[in-house]
Amino acid sequence: MTNRIKEFRARHNLTQDELAKKVNVRRETIVFLEQNKYNPSLKLAHDLASVFSVTIEELFIF
Amino acid sequence: MKKSLIVFIVAGLVLLTTGLWFFTSVNKFNTMDLLHFGVITLLVGFAVFVGSKRLSNAKRGEPVEDELSKKILQKTAAISYYISLYIWVFLIFLKDRVKFETEELLGTGILAMAVTFGISWLIFNHKGIKND
Repeated sequence: MTNRIKEFRARHNLTQDELAKKVNVRRETIVFLEQNKYNPSLKLAHDLASVFSVTIEELFIF
Repeated sequence: MKKSLIVFIVAGLVLLTTGLWFFTSVNKFNTMDLLHFGVITLLVGFAVFVGSKRLSNAKRGEPVEDELSKKILQKTAAISYYISLYIWVFLIFLKDRVKFETEELLGTGILAMAVTFGISWLIFNHKGIKND
């Protein structure tokens, strides 16, 4: 599974710190997600999709 | 914030106890004791590093723990427990072949467990966790 978090974050002009605060995780978690080193829980995937106003399927590529 | 402070308190206590042990028996130290002392210092350094990382997260307004850090901790605990079993089997095997005092054997085993935990944590923190 890969994701487009980095792409959407750039589109929304958000830093990793800002995104981390919005979804209530540590900045390291965002780094791991962007490097595809971690597959998030359904709740975190939902929260991230909500921040970018997209569906989970658009954000994560299965 | 509280959790990161606890790490510093525990690290301080360990350092204090080790320091007392060091200064009261500095003349009776053998190579094994020096090795133990070095490993304990290394572990305290590691704990301070983890504590300061948590503290900086708290200062930035981020949570000290999140789902990834909890998962890393769980996986680290599981793997280091598994490895620790083999460490104890090896130490029991070694006990009959090398002259070991019981305290030395227990101390070495406990320190080896702590080192295993630290190394596993560093590996998972670098490699990440994929649930594939």
